[in-house]
Amino acid sequence: MAGAAAAAERRAIRVLLVEDEEIHRVLARALLRAGGGVVLDEAGNGAEAVRRVREGGAGAYDLILTDRQMPVMDGHEATRQIRALGVTTPIVGLSSDCLAADVDAFIKAGADDFTPKPLSKEKLNRILAKFNLA
Amino acid sequence: MAAANQLTALLNNMYATGLLDEQFQQLQMLQDSSSPDFVSEVVTLFCQDGERIIGELAKLLEKPSVDFDRVDAFVHQLKGSSASVGAQKVKNTCIQFREFCQSRSKDGCLKTLDSVRTEFYDLRGKFQTMLQLERQLQGFYPK
Repeated sequence: MAGAAAAAERRAIRVLLVEDEEIHRVLARALLRAGGGVVLDEAGNGAEAVRRVREGGAGAYDLILTDRQMPVMDGHEATRQIRALGVTTPIVGLSSDCLAADVDAFIKAGADDFTPKPLSKEKLNRILAKFNLA
Repeated sequence: MAAANQLTALLNNMYATGLLDEQFQQLQMLQDSSSPDFVSEVVTLFCQDGERIIGELAKLLEKPSVDFDRVDAFVHQLKGSSASVGAQKVKNTCIQFREFCQSRSKDGCLKTLDSVRTEFYDLRGKFQTMLQLERQLQGFYPK
């Protein structure tokens, strides 16, 4: 009974997924749903992500997962702009390019971590554990 | 049981020939009663994206002056969706394709486009067979 009560009280993790391609969104949704306890919000490009974060306030999300290459505004610029708002939510860059230069660019923009696509259960669990969201 | 055996043989062949990698197993593990068509959904998206992207690449590479940055952007997209579905051969060919984009080699890009096209349509055909066999097993089509 104590375990069930604790589980019920545990707040859901609020995740913002910033990704323009539907196939990657479908996979991420399924992975996050499989883990349970996640409320997922989605943005189709960096500009929309910045707007959602600005409107939601500093504590709107527990985690932001962002693709790099997107129309309108890419993940690097979105990360810079989110940080410029004073938001310290963990941001993890995603890309199928994982050269050192790509990782560095995300970190320099203000991301906390990077994971190469495709997202998997193991990669997601590592991210959630790293930011104490598991 | 014939359909089940055929499906197992097909998937084993796809792994053995390098068409699929372990990412496809990740998709299968995510399919459950709350999301019974998950694999079909992802595979269908991949096939639609792949056809569209290959068409765009062919158009871009027909031009007398090739915009290699645009070609690279499309190949990057195809590489990403291939990786997500476990389409190993297509993904690896996309990696080579990007090298030709970066070295601005039209001949290299055209040859690799042919390879990607062949591999993609081979995989798409096998995915279509896989989905038909799965539907048979689910009883959607009478035996």
